[in-house]
Amino acid sequence: MTCRELVELLLDFLDGELPDDRRQLLETHLALCPPCLAYLETYKVTIRLTRRLPNEPPPPELLERLKAVLRQEGLQA
Amino acid sequence: MNETQENSDGASPRHPAPATAEEVFQLYGPRVYNLARRMLGSDADAEDVTQDVLLQVIRKLPTFRGESAFPTWLHRVTVNAALSHRQKRAQRQQREVHDPLDALFEDGSHHHPVRGWSVGPEDQALSHETQRLIDQAIGDLPEHYRDVFVLADVEGLPNAEIAGMLGDSISAVKNRLHRARVLMRHALAPHFEEALTR
Repeated sequence: MTCRELVELLLDFLDGELPDDRRQLLETHLALCPPCLAYLETYKVTIRLTRRLPNEPPPPELLERLKAVLRQEGLQA
Repeated sequence: MNETQENSDGASPRHPAPATAEEVFQLYGPRVYNLARRMLGSDADAEDVTQDVLLQVIRKLPTFRGESAFPTWLHRVTVNAALSHRQKRAQRQQREVHDPLDALFEDGSHHHPVRGWSVGPEDQALSHETQRLIDQAIGDLPEHYRDVFVLADVEGLPNAEIAGMLGDSISAVKNRLHRARVLMRHALAPHFEEALTR
């Protein structure tokens, strides 16, 4: 298994969806290849960082625009 | 407002049902606005989409009050509105999207050095600088990958639900998600590797 082949399998590996034989090949490669081990860890960090992104509040002007449209339609804003 | 709604997979309650237009602004404005902003890469376009979606929500409130389908419906309506807005802009990237893995590997091995990252404690809020870096990297993704990445890794939607929203197969969604993650990792690496050597 090459490094690229390993990286191609990371999503299925992390989702636990790799067949046993492929998973064993991947784990053997990881044990012998520090760059791929670092790649796996930083791939996981990328996912975790992204999941921590907060949502910004919409700009107040947008809410005022919405309220104006609602008032025009006779709906309570 | 005592009603609660279930996750799209029918699991634990997640969202209270909105009762008034004012509550819709507070409860769903940030989610709709940020999903649209990250898909479209434009604050102004996200505002237009958010206005359209929240108006739909408010008009349909009586229909959805107390129904567990509301969060799924909200995601779907936002995604459809964002995709429609993008088509109207006529800025969809027509060029072929090359496989990002081609540029990152040479003869099957890593083309660039691979080092660990220093990103700080995981239980602390992201710094504004880190948020900006991640949002910038998301905005730089080709649209082909960005939609799936935002829906999966920012919004946390299951691959099957994303496939239904985008009209793709689950395997296509997984393929695009993986390549988006590879591109994101590549974009973020210099910043966090630099932090390690300071």
